[in-house]
This record gives sequence, C-alpha cells and structure tokens, in this order.
Amino acid sequence: MITRRFTSWGRLEAARAAAVEPAWLDEIELGPAPRLAYGLGRSYGDSCLLDGGTMIDTRHLDRLVRFDAKTGLLSAEAGITLDAILRFCVPSGWFLPTTPGTREVTLGGAIANDVHGKNHHRVGCFGNHVPRLELMRSDGSRTITSSGEELHAATIGGLGLTGMITRAEVQLVPIRSASLDVELIRFENLDEFAELSTESGDGWEHTVAWIDCLARAEHVGRGIFIRGNWAESGDLQPHAEGGPTVPLDFPGFALNPLSIRLFNQTYHNRFPGKSKRLVQHYSPFFHPLDSVHEWNRIYGKRGFYQYQSVVPAAAGIGPVRAMLEAIAAARQGSFLAVLKSFGGVASPGMLSFPFAGLTLALDFPNRGRRTLDLFSQLDRIVREAGGRLYPAKDARMSPADFAAGYPRLEEFRRHVDPGFTSDFWKRMNP
Amino acid sequence: MNQPVYRAAVFGATSAIASEFLRALCEDHEAELLLFGRDESRLEATAADLRARGATCTVRTADFLDFEHDWKAELDGPTWDLFLVAHGSLPDQDRSLGEGAAIAREIGVNFTSQAVIAAACAEILDRQGHGRLAVIGSVAGDRGRASNFLYGSAKAGIAAFMAGLQHRFAERQAIHVSLLKPGMTDTPMTADLPKGPLFSPASKVGRLGWKAVRSGKPTAYLPGWWAGVMTVVRSLPSSVLHKTKL
Repeated sequence: MITRRFTSWGRLEAARAAAVEPAWLDEIELGPAPRLAYGLGRSYGDSCLLDGGTMIDTRHLDRLVRFDAKTGLLSAEAGITLDAILRFCVPSGWFLPTTPGTREVTLGGAIANDVHGKNHHRVGCFGNHVPRLELMRSDGSRTITSSGEELHAATIGGLGLTGMITRAEVQLVPIRSASLDVELIRFENLDEFAELSTESGDGWEHTVAWIDCLARAEHVGRGIFIRGNWAESGDLQPHAEGGPTVPLDFPGFALNPLSIRLFNQTYHNRFPGKSKRLVQHYSPFFHPLDSVHEWNRIYGKRGFYQYQSVVPAAAGIGPVRAMLEAIAAARQGSFLAVLKSFGGVASPGMLSFPFAGLTLALDFPNRGRRTLDLFSQLDRIVREAGGRLYPAKDARMSPADFAAGYPRLEEFRRHVDPGFTSDFWKRMNP
Repeated sequence: MNQPVYRAAVFGATSAIASEFLRALCEDHEAELLLFGRDESRLEATAADLRARGATCTVRTADFLDFEHDWKAELDGPTWDLFLVAHGSLPDQDRSLGEGAAIAREIGVNFTSQAVIAAACAEILDRQGHGRLAVIGSVAGDRGRASNFLYGSAKAGIAAFMAGLQHRFAERQAIHVSLLKPGMTDTPMTADLPKGPLFSPASKVGRLGWKAVRSGKPTAYLPGWWAGVMTVVRSLPSSVLHKTKL
C-alpha cells in the first residue's frame, strides 16, 4: 500500500491517504478504517477526501458486468466512468438516463452524489434510474440493495458513507441520434427566465440557463436560456477523445473582474438577434468543459469554490435575484453561473440534493476571507428561503445549515458504515 | 457490417493492457475470443465485460510456466486471425536477485513462456498462411538499467525473439508479427510504483496497441513518444547513464 495525494476538483485542499487500488470485485480489500471510496475526484470540496485515512481508488474497477441490448439495462463496476459508458452505448443507440455537466465522473460517484442533469424536470436524478446496486461494508459483506429499500435510499446521494459501492445497474434510454436540436434564447432578466422555464418544461427535455453573474443594475439576471431535444435522426457517433489540457496554473491576476466581465459580455452577445437554433452533438451540449482537460487550473493554485443552492419553487425567483445582486455587488462571480428549474420527481436518496425549485450554481475563485464573507450572505438568503446547498460542491457550509437543509439526516445516520467517513462528514459532525 | 467473425486467442487476457486492447478490438469487429489466464474468477470478469461489448468468449485457465504444455493442440481447430501474448509480471527486483529460483521464475514468466507460446502460434500461422501474432514486450527491454534489469532482460530477450520471427516471415505478406512496447502504464501491476507524468492510462496503451496490430506494425512503442525517449536512453554513454537513477 502506498500513501499518496488525493485532490478534489476545487483544488482548495488535498488529502494524503493510504491508497488501496482494488482491481477485481472478488478480491477487494478495504484497507484499514477509517476509509472512503474515491472515483475521479470531481466533487469540488472535501466530500470525496479523507485526509490521513485509507482511500479506495476505484479506477481499476471499470468493467461492464452485463448489458441487455433489448431493455438497455446496464450493470457495471463502480469505477467505470460515464465517459466510458457513453463510448460504449452511444454507437448502439443508448444514452445515460441523465448526465451531469461532465462525463469525467465514475458510476459510483454519480450514485454517491446522486447527480442531476439538464433533464431533471423530466426524469429526476441519476439515482432514480439505478434499480439495484452492490455495497461492500466494513464487515466485508457484499449486499445488493434495490430501489425501495432503506439502505438503497441511504446509499444514493449518501456521499460514500454507507460503504463502498462496488457495482450498480443503470437503466439506459434509447436515442436515435447522437445530436440534439438546440435552441438558445437570450433573456434580459429573471422574469423572462422564469417565463422561458415554465414554457419549456413540457416541450423540451433538456433545459438550463447561463447567467451573466457580473451584470449589474437593470441587467441583473440576464443570460441565455438553452433548451434541447434529442434529434430524431442522425448518426450515432460517440464523443471524440482528447482535446487540449490546461498546462499550468494560471496566475492569480488572470481572472479579474475585467477579464470575466469581458468574457461574460462576449458570451452573452455570441449570436445576433433574440434566439438561435442549431443541431449540436451531445458532447458540447452536455459536457462543454470536458473538451479542455484540467480546466480547473485556470483558477490558479489557490483553487476555487462552487456554490450551488436550491430554493423551493414556492419561494419564487426572489431568492435567486437577491443572490445575484449580492454577488454582483461583491464583484466576485465568475464564468460559470448556471440556473435551472428542478422538477417535481421525488429524489431517491435520503441526502439527495435536488427538490422542486430553482438551483443556482456559480464558481468563485478563492479570494479567501472576501469569498467566504460573500458566501455567508448567500447562506442567509438560502436559509430564509428554505433552501439547501449541494454537498458535492461544498467546502465550507455550516453543520447547522446542513442539518436544517436535509430533514432526513437523522434517518440517514443509522445507515452510515462505522468504518467509513470523509473530511466533509467530519466537518459536519465536529 | 457483414464482415466475418474475428477470431483471437489471448494469453494473459486479464492483464489491464490486454483487456483494453480487446475492448478496442470489439469496437471494430464482431469477435470470438479464447481467453487464457491463471485465475478463473478474473477471467470470468474479463469475459463478462467483453461479452457485454458484443464478443463471444471462452475462458480457459492455464499455467504459463508449464513449458511442456501442448499449445498447438490447445489451439487446434479454427482459423485464427490473431494471437496476443500479454501475460507477464513485474518482479520485486531487489528481493528476486538474491534467490535463483525467483530469477528463473521471472525470466520464465516474462520471457520463456512468452517464447514458448509465440513459437507455437507462429507455427500455426505458418500452416494457415495468414494471421497476426502480437507480443507485449516493454521499453524496459531497450537497455539494461539498474532499476529494473531483471524484467528488462526478459523483455530484451522477447524482443530478439520477435525480431527473429519477423525475419523468418519477412516474405510472407499475410503474416504479421508485432512487438508492442508499452512505456510506464497505470495498471494493477504497477500499483506499488509512485505515478509520475510519464505514466499512461492502460486504456490508451491498449487502444494504441490494437491500432498498431491492426495496421501490422512490426514494432510499436505505446504511446509513440516512448520511441523518442528510448532513443535517448539507448544512446546515452554509459558514463552518463551510470550517474542517473534510471
């Protein structure tokens, strides 16, 4: 066993941990407790890290176990990446039931964080499409859990705390083309966004909006609404491999209010007129940032935070407007501000993040105290609206906000494997 | 898509590079695979993955160190498109060097057994008049270096062996003999080595290996930039090499 460094996507802190790298399902040794399974480290904060413990790196557990070409039910080892699944299934006309903004996550990670995508309003979370999974517990037992069971509900979105997910089933969906019919519509404020979102819910499977988070005054909440449906015909070419890699950490001054404002203005005005229609391959549509490897390095060596919240539909657009105003006033936002309406499909996990309402996700370069102070303001808005934050993105929420946001937390605790923990979990349980 | 079934026999099919090689092969062909390995449960896991990708697989456990084994009889019957010899082990050199039997075992796994199997496969290709034989060697065979010359000398041996087979079949245009030379690869076999930027993922190495074999390359460094690195390593004067920790 070697000790090595593990990172998460925000690069705020790294963990040094003993590395266990199982390669075969039947030969897994979990290593000494406390421990945590690790996929590709795409969680942003500390939920995928366990400093000083044992980390079970699942990258060699990447095999398909079974595929039913008639029903699309896929069974695979937990370390397989969504990238590899898509490469496998797209040529025969299948796709993931939902995909997050990157395909560089593992199947196990997608389940443990119960990830969501642009079609949440239609199909719910990733875990809604995982009928069964296998969990290895500290006592060495391997248990199959099925939807409807408590341990299953604890494991989906359970942040790896109920044991190690070793394999899982996912129900793929048929596609006739690898491309989508896409429409981009510019909106000038949040009321327009709300209208577009309501209007698109029925006719469009995939919806999301990009927000110019540095816009101020009457421009607050302007952005581009993106909606798409799978094309009815076309080829079934999977995404290409490769693409450039960010070769170094950008210096701290590279991202500043001016450069970001310029980027956002250019992006906001990237097409003339009010809207634009295009046919787009799934890769740029769902995974635009995967074309540049290690893009997180543009935030420099101090790393960055992502702040993703959801506020209930009943709270309306007000809390989102208040957050955007606070961010613009603090002049701290960045390129990636994403706003989406979650639908009413019940989340399968006790700690699943989504519920019906509006989710806002933004990247923030780490500027230390200033950034954390802004987050305290945002926390207040989220709290008062009855919302919550996404643990997969978090590096700093308070235990009180976590407990208030996740009413099934006590129920979840009963299923935590005593031999598993994470830096996030330790932070939530000081 | 009306091409005939592609038939391959693979020795050491559970190795990460071989598995990735076969995944890539299955993207190009409807394949019928005979998979040899030491461990049945590992073979079954490998076969399940390839079956899900559309291949038909038969698995057989084998002891590669049984040099008396009649591989020709084992492979008798069908016409083969490809033989892939991929088994190997990475010795703990410091421990092995003190023990003759351990040295013999490492050379046995990494050279002798590969040569025994390659020779049997070559005979079958000779008789068939066509087909491919690929053996996984290593950049470690290019020059003896303090850090891994036990493994490296076995791989140098297999390189010479394959060069000989290539010479023997030089006039036979339908027979292709390839030596694949992966550089440092992130596989379970290298679990105990600290990973640096020179490591490539097994998926990349396996995929490039299949491409090289498909195009009939006699020798392929995987990835290709290792050719440049090894040219430098080979041409370093000993007086310089001996000052490094390579």
